[in-house]
Amino acid sequence: MRNLLNFLAKYNNLIIFLILEGISFYLLTTGNTYHNTQIVKGVRGFTNRIDEKISNARSYFQLRDINQALAYENATLKNNINLLKNKDDLLFFSISDTNYRQQYQFTSAAVIDNSVTRQKNFFTLNKGSRQGVAVDMAVTSGDGVAGVIVGCSKNFSIAMSLLNLDFKLSARLKSNGYFGSLGWDGNQYNYAILSEIPQHVTFGIGDTVETTGYSAVFPEGILIGTVSGFEKSGGDFYKIRVLLKTDFKKLHFVTTIGNLRKTEELGLEKLFQ
Amino acid sequence: MINRISRFSLIFVLLILLQVLVFNNIRFSGYINPYVYVMFILLLPVEIPSWLLLLISFGTGAVMDIFCGSPGMHTSATVLAGFVRPFALRVISPRDGYEPGADPSMFIYGLRWFLIYTSLIIFIHHTALFYLEVFRFADFFRTLLRVIMSSIFSITFIILLEYIRKGK
Repeated sequence: MRNLLNFLAKYNNLIIFLILEGISFYLLTTGNTYHNTQIVKGVRGFTNRIDEKISNARSYFQLRDINQALAYENATLKNNINLLKNKDDLLFFSISDTNYRQQYQFTSAAVIDNSVTRQKNFFTLNKGSRQGVAVDMAVTSGDGVAGVIVGCSKNFSIAMSLLNLDFKLSARLKSNGYFGSLGWDGNQYNYAILSEIPQHVTFGIGDTVETTGYSAVFPEGILIGTVSGFEKSGGDFYKIRVLLKTDFKKLHFVTTIGNLRKTEELGLEKLFQ
Repeated sequence: MINRISRFSLIFVLLILLQVLVFNNIRFSGYINPYVYVMFILLLPVEIPSWLLLLISFGTGAVMDIFCGSPGMHTSATVLAGFVRPFALRVISPRDGYEPGADPSMFIYGLRWFLIYTSLIIFIHHTALFYLEVFRFADFFRTLLRVIMSSIFSITFIILLEYIRKGK
């Protein structure tokens, strides 16, 4: 208290000065419209700039949510595309068929666990049977193949990554349509091997490799990667090194693709095997 | 004491009237607006307590604002002038100090001393006043020119008035 009084006594002139100036500035800014608008303009400009900074920072932190929303929207749009694509190629259809137009169902999911360093790699998704994910669904990331669902719990599912020695996929060269079998050789996480392409086939480095749709897991025409090199193997076949489109080291948002007609197709095929 | 108060009251009234009736009507080309009422702050006794000086400055500025219809403008400039006056007096104090009970007059301390004293405070007062009037730094040098021109005229008139005051 005494310190406070000493302080006041020491600086009383300054304090009185500041009080009086404060009063006159108050009068100045409230009494004169011009000064008032100048002050308001200045303050508003300042606060606007601060607001902009804050909202910039905030939008950065919201990017994660925005990404999720975009992935979800992507999945819905893909569903719609699939719906529209099959619109016109049917003359007759059963009225009780609820998904007569749609063959594939897309669902977005996030990868919550992933590995690329083992010989048999798996990754975990944050969606499970409750969200419509089922075993044997395809998993793509962006435009590229990522894996296949091999196990589901209620809210999570495990996918076998393309980087798994057990993963086999029917793939073809987009330029000429010759198909072969694609698998990982266990070496580098961004290369896979496409085999069983006959040697009379001509193709070049950089040619696109995509899925065939024969397996009833992946839809037709999903990108896998590009040819980066090839060598002759065994008798009549090439062994083609494929640079994968999907970067498995930053796998985050993926789309699961379910084939709604798979049981029908497989059931029919089983009859004749 | 009473005598002194009445004398300063008279000076106050005369200066305000002079300012309002005569000098407020002088507007040469928009650059020269002398404000001689600050002379009242200059003439107050040397040993007046600072808080009283500030309050008197506030009152003087407020009265000027009422007459000029510009709330706060003259008040803040004059309070600033009242605040710097003790520092100015200390900086330019004569070699043997101020005589006790004397007013800061030209006829005690000389023309040169009075000129410096007046110039210091008038310039500070006018700077604050004119920049508060414009209230932006866009026309900085134009405003500075106005400050300088008006200060020269104010100082001239104040020195003339000081001669007249002595003559009475």
